[in-house]
Amino acid sequence: MGITFNPEYIVKVFPKLLEALPLTLLIVILSLAFGLLLALLLTAAKLGSSRILRILATWYISFIRGTPPLVQLFLVFYGLPQVLKGIGIDINSWDKVVFAIITFSLNGAAFLSEIMRSAYQAVDRGQQEAAFSVGMTPFQAFRRVMLPQAFAIALPNLGNSAISLLKETSLAFTIGVVDVMGRAQVISIRSNGVNQLELFIAVALLYWALCFIIEKAVALLERAFKKGHKGVAG
Amino acid sequence: MVFDMEFALKSLPKIIAGIPMSLLISVFAILAGLVIGFLVTLCRMYKVPVLNRLAIIYVSFIRGTPLLVQIYVIYYALPMVADWAGMKLGLPISSADLPPLAFALTAFTIYSGAYLSETIRAALSAVDPGQMEAGYSVGLTTWQTFRRIVIPQAFVVALPSIGNNFLGLIKGTSLAFTVMVIEVMSNAKIAAADGYRYMESYVDAAIVYWLLCIVFERLFAWLEKRSGRYRSKSA
Repeated sequence: MGITFNPEYIVKVFPKLLEALPLTLLIVILSLAFGLLLALLLTAAKLGSSRILRILATWYISFIRGTPPLVQLFLVFYGLPQVLKGIGIDINSWDKVVFAIITFSLNGAAFLSEIMRSAYQAVDRGQQEAAFSVGMTPFQAFRRVMLPQAFAIALPNLGNSAISLLKETSLAFTIGVVDVMGRAQVISIRSNGVNQLELFIAVALLYWALCFIIEKAVALLERAFKKGHKGVAG
Repeated sequence: MVFDMEFALKSLPKIIAGIPMSLLISVFAILAGLVIGFLVTLCRMYKVPVLNRLAIIYVSFIRGTPLLVQIYVIYYALPMVADWAGMKLGLPISSADLPPLAFALTAFTIYSGAYLSETIRAALSAVDPGQMEAGYSVGLTTWQTFRRIVIPQAFVVALPSIGNNFLGLIKGTSLAFTVMVIEVMSNAKIAAADGYRYMESYVDAAIVYWLLCIVFERLFAWLEKRSGRYRSKSA
């Protein structure tokens, strides 16, 4: 095998990868959204009074954290149709992207719920008592007093989760989703074994740039939400 | 049928057979990664001129790109490096000699090295600087102080993170099949394709990984308790 390296190819192939970027972003955003919703339910279950819900939530989180995302993806992709066929629902015509979004939502929910839980428990209980003392209902106290503070505390970790999620979506091509990584696979097959290294360096640079953007966005959000807050780290 | 239990049980031994390889890759990567991480941290701590910048870029790149993409890059880059080393440095290696395991070990070591360097950096900065001064004051050299006083304390601080890293590596080895390494995931895929029962094989694989993680979680918790014994119980 020769040692040929064409850096120009990295620049040339970049626009072709960018064409697939919207799909990657769609998967990330939808998975984050659904994951956050599910995480709220999980956190409520873990902090709530029902013992059985707490146990179920704990086991769910342990399973998600103890198994590789790739295995979870295959379980959803191959398992969900099989299970649903047993009760008479045929989902063979679903777009593969749906399976990816389902998997990453379920996956993200477990990690996000742990982040939410620790952030919520970090807010001073006195805030809640003060809210009650001025006549707010529990829901009002949560929405106006606890939630904004918990959100500010959770923000750095939520940012890390978003970055992890972005990187995880690179696995979606294994079930045939043509996102950035999937596009790279197609280009790889079509190029007959030439310029492979340059191609995947371009892919890496693209993900690196996306992560950088997310980091900056989270930093901006942190500054906006932490106005006036005096903590140890400022 | 919805779930073929018989097939699931029959494939389980085949899938379990992949555990040694997954563990081999994980253990090698964590140990080699600790060495790399320590060197990288040293470069950052002492602000070595060129290496400091390189170290920062290295850590940022590894943490900002998916593991799978890194594996692919190593897969195409390593043969080129081996050929270059064979030609330019006259070493008797060529790209044809590289076993698939070499790609996996290289990729996972580079991956864990970056994360571990951050762990080590945090752990070292958690140790009171006074410990270094105390070491100097009784006549120890820098390296001796590190080895006998600082590192044992930093190790206890780092242990939970190292444990998390190790668990991440175990799960990460599920990607090693892309470079043709036979471990748990590849065996699951083979079993699935053999019997056309995909869900059952992957349920088996999931349970295997889950049990591995639980076992090592407990192991690390025990290690943490044991190494933390020197800490006196605060009143």
